This record gives sequence, structure tokens and C-alpha cells, in this order.
Amino acid sequence: MGRRLLLLLATIGVLEAQQVVAPTPEQVGSARGDNVGDYNITQSFELGYRFKDVFGDEGMYRSAVDMGNGLRLLSSSFSINSKDGHGHYFDEITLNTIGLGNDNYQAAILRIQKNRLYRYDMTWRLNAYFVPGLTVAGGEHLEDTIRRIQDHDLTLLPQSHYRFHLGYSRNTENGPALTTAQEFDASGVGFPVFENVKRQWNEFRVGADLDFAGFRLTLQRRWDFYKDDTPLSSDGVQVSPEPGDQSVLQQFQRSQPVHGSNPGWLGNLFTKRRLWGVNARLTYNSGTGNFALDELALGIGMFGTAASRQIAVGGDANRPDLAGDFSVSLYPSERLTVVNNTSISSDRIDGQSSYTEADDGLDLGTTIYFRYLADRLVTNSTDVNYRVNDWFGIYGGYHYSDRLVSTIEGQGLPAFANSFSSSLYQVSNHENAGAVGLRLRPLKPLTINLDGEKGRASYPLTPISASDYHTINGRVMYRLKNLQLSTSYKQYYNLNPPMSFSNFSSHSRSYNANASWTPRSWFALDASYSKQHLDTLDGLAFFSALTPLSASQLQTGFSSLYISNIHSGNMGVRLALGKRADLYAGYTITKDTGDGRSAAAPPGATPLQTLLDSVQTFPLTYHSPLARLSIRIAPKIRWNAGWQYYDYAEQFNLLGYDQNFHAHIGYTSVLWSF
Amino acid sequence: MIVSMARAAILVTTLPILWACGAAWAQNQAVAGSSATPPAPAAPGFVGSNACKTCHPDIFLNFYKNAHYKSIASGKEPPERTGCEGCHGPGQAHVAARGGKSTIPHAFSLMQPKQVLDTCLGCHANDFNRANIRRSEHTLNGIACTSCHSIHHSPTPKYLLAKQQRDLCYSCHGNIRAQFDMPSKHRVNEGFMECSDCHNPHGAFAPTWGMGQKPRMIEQALGNEDACLKCHVDKRGPFVYEHPSVAIEGCEICHTPHGSMNAKLLRRPVVFTLCLECHNGGGSGTRNQGVDIQSARHNLLDPKFQFCTACHVRIHGSNADEYFLR
Repeated sequence: MGRRLLLLLATIGVLEAQQVVAPTPEQVGSARGDNVGDYNITQSFELGYRFKDVFGDEGMYRSAVDMGNGLRLLSSSFSINSKDGHGHYFDEITLNTIGLGNDNYQAAILRIQKNRLYRYDMTWRLNAYFVPGLTVAGGEHLEDTIRRIQDHDLTLLPQSHYRFHLGYSRNTENGPALTTAQEFDASGVGFPVFENVKRQWNEFRVGADLDFAGFRLTLQRRWDFYKDDTPLSSDGVQVSPEPGDQSVLQQFQRSQPVHGSNPGWLGNLFTKRRLWGVNARLTYNSGTGNFALDELALGIGMFGTAASRQIAVGGDANRPDLAGDFSVSLYPSERLTVVNNTSISSDRIDGQSSYTEADDGLDLGTTIYFRYLADRLVTNSTDVNYRVNDWFGIYGGYHYSDRLVSTIEGQGLPAFANSFSSSLYQVSNHENAGAVGLRLRPLKPLTINLDGEKGRASYPLTPISASDYHTINGRVMYRLKNLQLSTSYKQYYNLNPPMSFSNFSSHSRSYNANASWTPRSWFALDASYSKQHLDTLDGLAFFSALTPLSASQLQTGFSSLYISNIHSGNMGVRLALGKRADLYAGYTITKDTGDGRSAAAPPGATPLQTLLDSVQTFPLTYHSPLARLSIRIAPKIRWNAGWQYYDYAEQFNLLGYDQNFHAHIGYTSVLWSF
Repeated sequence: MIVSMARAAILVTTLPILWACGAAWAQNQAVAGSSATPPAPAAPGFVGSNACKTCHPDIFLNFYKNAHYKSIASGKEPPERTGCEGCHGPGQAHVAARGGKSTIPHAFSLMQPKQVLDTCLGCHANDFNRANIRRSEHTLNGIACTSCHSIHHSPTPKYLLAKQQRDLCYSCHGNIRAQFDMPSKHRVNEGFMECSDCHNPHGAFAPTWGMGQKPRMIEQALGNEDACLKCHVDKRGPFVYEHPSVAIEGCEICHTPHGSMNAKLLRRPVVFTLCLECHNGGGSGTRNQGVDIQSARHNLLDPKFQFCTACHVRIHGSNADEYFLR
């Protein structure tokens, strides 16, 4: 019975995931494993070959999918457990991996522990990150880097009243990229330049927990070090593509190392008693970044004369950051919980930069810049949660935030005494928000949740920040052992008051329905549909020349309208054919129908209106059917094969770029346990 | 800095390790010879896990792989914190009645969410990452521990989850699942990331970058920063020239974190509308007089000015240029 239930749960789990064709989720071998001495061992490996066939824009394929050809250890799972909990060196080792070998998404998760003595957790991940020359960057910004992330945590005496923690994390990014450098003329083009990305971040952690008199005190000290030693250099001789612009970038090199650290402290005190609980946390971090920049560009300026530019920058930036939280929880009765939380944070960033520039051999001198940006935030929230009876509960909350943003901008010319000047600006914003919700459970399998929030901010920082907003959420869920139905609705409206040229409003609504049905152990069906609507309207102010030869003028009569209507569907069917084979077929489609227009911009509009109309909506269809067959050829061996198709189709080629692609992805593998 | 770090690290690491080794030796001496089979407890009402094994062998035979087996292996925990009765309460009445859910003091399938929470927090309350569970969105909406965790039938290697983590989250958050179907997305479905890389399902501390304690349930980076900066460390700064909207309002001011139909998880298909919606002179901005309007040198009809980040390459923050050009 238990095993059947386990299979049933696993089956439902398989179906609810968004499908990626491999690795194969079907299990092989005994879940109980094999006994060796005082240990039990379970392990399985899936070794396979992936292949791909891409048509159209391969860069966009790599950005969206990025599965390649080759042999892979698609997945593996290994666990060894001590049967009596008194292993000599360890009681448990678990190791799970995906994609090892050559996949662009690889991960390994390891845990080793011995009861009462230690627990070690490790996570290692690799992501081959590819960004094609995207439309958003004029087709020029490209990245082909590899990011590796690892985390190590060791806890000593995990079951004791005093525990010690050691940790280490590392994050590196390396690889080639293309970026742009704007040179010679203030209105010149950004020339493509080569970037050799070299970034590295290391963090070390030491901490302890101490239990005493019903309290737990947690202390942690951490240090992290960041290095960015990415150099930039010429990507060959670059000529401006602009008609009438004679700019040429002949030589270019830039070094811009940044080395920084963020040492910090964390302290937390917690207690929970029968009628009350308290949690207090305080953190302090002092980030620093030391930098230098050395740049040389040689070429021809916009008007055909020789041009050179040398820039040298040096300085440092600092960010002391203090944050604290204090929560008091009250449980006056079995039915009532009241929690009050007060949080403060103070984030101060100050930086000084010495900037020296020489253009065409003319030394423009050195300027010392100083910037200070401080953000002080105090929030207080009270949440009350009350269960009226077994099937009805309500909750409500009031949240208050007070934020002060201070800016000091200063600059001085060392060549001139007493030239330093500065300006101070302060922005204060207060937000009041109230939330109320209810939950109903009229029948055991049926739950209904409704909630809403209304908030108002006095002086939001940006024209699109939350100002006068409300949210409404609703969810209905019906759960039986072999049937799950759910539907939800979510709404977020925000309206910003008119200010200068701006009058921002946004409305987002999402509707969702899901069904999972497993009537038999050999058949399961999973389906979902979601619609997400977004419309925003904002006043615009920008400069534009209405005719090619005229000067740019301020344009204020236009607005930025954006309408998105995204329909998403997902369906999967799993069939167990006899006791030997499992067949899975799935289909996913995501379609933004935009506002229903048939052309990006109506004919006959002015060039400016045509440009703005063409980015008001972005109709796009992205869909992917897949099929997978898994056959048990021996009690502990399965053979698997799968195929997945991706089709990405923009209806209007945004800003003239065609990025559409379609691709076939396949794999075949052997999964065995021993 | 390095020297002080090394000195502190040596002190803080060596002493605990020595202490831990000593304590572990002592503990091993104490438990040496003890059997994993729990003795029948003397406390009233408790019958011991052996009694449960008689009727529930399917659960008990694999229970040594369960994290809660530590309570049995320890041999030191009191009966109310040991094995089956550590969670389900004293079993004498259940045994006497020869079974039945109603005779189990803590039958989780019959309990209210708050009762489930209280029972689990009896042992797990003190963990730092659950400090805000009482006011988390999940708790307020009646999501109890057993809504996500399956103590006896978990298919996951860690945390005893009822399903693989993403499936578990998707089962309620279908709209988020749809966002991960989009062409530009974080690689959760591919297995590179998990929801808990950015979220704390047990409730989080108030974010330092959002008003009204929003966004909620976000697991902050250790410097109390936006969770994005855990991986995207190059965007972290500090910079001499911060992009104030990013530093104060967080990454979501321009990006949608789960998935987007637009490149680079942007809120708009092209950059210039994204920039101009703020840089239109409206709103307060950090200089009181509105967010800077774009330069008069720019002609939006000229294609090079439509790709703002082609020149303003350091849009997340710069040390050399207040306009983020380098």
C-alpha cells in the first residue's frame, strides 16, 4: 500500500512539472535498496545522448533553450544510510546530480552526516549563460559565459544545545562577451568591443547557535570578497553604421578592475513560549569596492578628423548597511495569533571617484566626484490571524512604512582651490496599507482563500512605483487523493498621481486553472491554463527631431501604452503500458496575443507615432510538444528515448530583427540502478 | 582585513572543532552499545515505536532513512520527543483501541493548520529561517507544514518534501508556473535553480528595498539585499554612481523575476520605453525635481538612441560615469 502510494505521489509529481524532455523521471529498481553490512544503499544512473537540430536564429535558441549535442550523465542518485543510526564515520550520504558531462545546466547536491556529530551540505551548479545580440541592445550585446556556483555548509553538533557552523560559497563567471563603448563624440554610436569576463566572488562564514533558558542565540560572522578583472579590447576596426557619421574606432583597450569585500555580522535571538514568542535580529555589513579604470581609444571622429581619448579613473565606494527586525507574537488562545513586526534598515552608499580625461592630446584635467545615497526605511506591521471555527478563518493586517532617501552630489576640481561644491536632496515617502483575508473549508477537500490589500504611498520614488494600489487574490482548491482541481485569480492595480508629464497607471490580472487526475496507477492527466493580462499607460517626455535635418525638440504629447495578454496552456498525459513501458506526451504553449492588432503600427502614421505604436504590444507564440518512452528491459534497467520540439515565433519583427527559430531536441538513454 | 579575518577564523573554527570532537567522543561513549531499537518508555501513555512497528511496518522499515529517525537513534530524547510518539503523541489509547485515527492524539490529517504548525514547531521553532513563519503568507492562508512536507512518503532527498520542490510550488502557484514556460526565464524547470534559492516558504524578514514589507517571502542575500544579488554579484556594488531606482526599489523595477516574453526578463520588449517611463521628468526621483529627462542631444527617431544600453552599458551602477557610460 505504501509503495503504491509512493508511486502515485511520484506520478503526480512528474506530471506537475513543466516538461523538459530529459532526464527521465521514471524510477527503476527497488526503492528499498540493498543492504551492505549496517548500511543500506540505493543508487541509479541515467547515461544518455542528446541531439538537437535548430532552424532559424540559433542565438535566440541558445537564449531560450540551449540544449546541445553530446553524451551526458543525465541524472544520478546515490544514497547510503546507516540502519541503526550509529554509523562509524557517517550515517547518511546522499548525492544527486543532473546534466553532468556537457549539459548547459548541471547540478550536484551532496549531504553527508553523522547523527549528533556533523552535517555537511554541498551544492554545486553550472550554467552556460548565452545572450545573443538582442534587439534590446541593437544586436550588439552578446554573452557566452559560464557561471559556476558552489555552497558548502558544515554544522558541528547539529543536535546539541550549541552548534557551530562553517560555510563557504563561491560564484564565478568567465567567458567572452561583446559589449559597446561610446567614444569620441557625445552623440556618437556605441562601438562593439570585446570583453573577457572574469568575475569571482568568495564568501566565508563562521557561526554558532546557543540554546539557553528557552532562548536561541544565533551569531554569524561572514566575509566575502569580490573581484572583477574583466578587460575590454578592440573587436577589430569598427566603423560607425550611421549615415553621415565618419567615426571609426581603430584601437581600443580598457582595464577596469574592481576589488571589493562585504564583511558582516548577524545576530538573532529567538524564543517561543506557550503564549508568546519573540524574535530579534540585527545585521551589519560594511561593503567596500576599490576600482581603477584605464582606457585608451584611437580613431576618427564624427567629422572625419583624427581622434583620441584617454581616461583614467580611480577611487572607492563604501556601503555600511544596518538592518534590524523585532517581532512579538502572541497566542492568547488556540484560535488567535497576533504578530507585530518592526523593521529598520539604514543603507548608506558613498563613493569618491577621481576622473581624468585627455581628448586629442588635450588634458581636460581631473575632477573629483562624490556621491552619497542613503536609504533609511522603517516599517511596522501587525497581522492578526483568527480561526472562527473549523471551517472558517479570517486574518487582517496593517502595514506602515516610512522611507527617507537622501542624496548628496558633490564635485571639485583639484586644480582650483575651494572649487568643491555639493547639493543635498531628500525624499520622504510614507505608505499605509491594510490587508484582509478569509479562508473557508466548507468540505474537507475544498479550500477557498480570498484576500485583498489597499495601500497608498505619499511620495513614491519613481513614476511607476507603487502609489495608490490595491490587490485582490482568490483561490479555490479541491483536493482528493487522485484528483486535484484549483483555480485562482490575482489582480494588481496601481495608479500614480499626475506629476509633470507623467500619469502612470497599470492593471495586471491573472487567471489560472489547474487539474491533475490520476484515476488509475497506469494513467494520469495534468492540465493547466493561465491568462495574464497587463496594461500600462504612462506619460512620456523625450527629444526627437520631427524631420531628419531639424533639431531635436522636447516631445510631451505622447504616451507609452503597453498591452500584453498572455495565454499559457500546459497538458501532459502519462500512460503505463503493461508493467514494462511508460509513455508520456505533453504540450506547452505560451501565446501573447497583444491587443489583437494585425500590424505593428497602422499605416499612414507619422514616423514617431509609428515607432511608439510598434512597441505597444509584442505578440509572440512559443510552444513545445514532447513525447517520451521509457521501457523497463530488466528489473533494474530502463531504456528511454524522447523528443521535444520548440517553436518561437514573433508576429512582428521587433525593430526589424528576425529572431524566430524552431528546434528539434531528442535524447536516448539507459537508466539503471545497482 | 585578511589578517583579522584569518585570526578570527582560526579562533572561531579551531575551538569549536576541538570542542565538537570532545563532545562527540563523549556522546559516542554514551550511546555505544545502545541499540537502535528503542526501549519501551516508562512515561505514562507512551508505548514506544516498537509497538507502532507491529501494525505499520511499511512506514517503520524505511524510517531509518528519515531525518526524524535521529530521535530514536539518539536514545537520549524523552518519550514525547522520540520516534512515532514524538510527533503523534502517546500511543497507548491507539493501541488499546486496536487502531483508528481518532485515538491518535496528533493525527495530522485531522488537525487544523495551526495545530499542525504548533506540533512541528515544538521541535523546529528555533531555526533561524523559520523565525517569521507565524506571519508568513502561507500561514495566514492556512498552509500548514504537511501541505508541503510528507514525513513518511517523501520522494526528495532533502527536507522531506511531498514532491519535487518546483512541482510542489507549481501545484498552488499556477500563474508562476506559466511564467517559467516563457522564452526568457530563470532555469528552474531545467533543474539549475529552485524556488527556495530566492524564496523562503516559511516567511521572510522584511525586505530592505521595498515599501510595505513587500515583496514578501523573499529569501534575502546575506547583506539584506535583493535575492537576485546572491548570483548576480556583479550588480551588487557599492558603486559611486548607483542607479537609484535599482538600489532603492530593487531589480523588479525593470525586470520580472520568474519569466518574461521579453529578452533579459525585461518588463518591456524594448529598452527605450522602459527607460522613458521613469525618465520623463515625472515623479519625485532622488533630486526632488523629477527623474531626469533624457538629454536634448538624443533624437528618438535615430535608431542608436532607441537602444539606450548600447551606450549606457553600466546601467546597474558605475564607478566612472554618472550616466553609466563606462
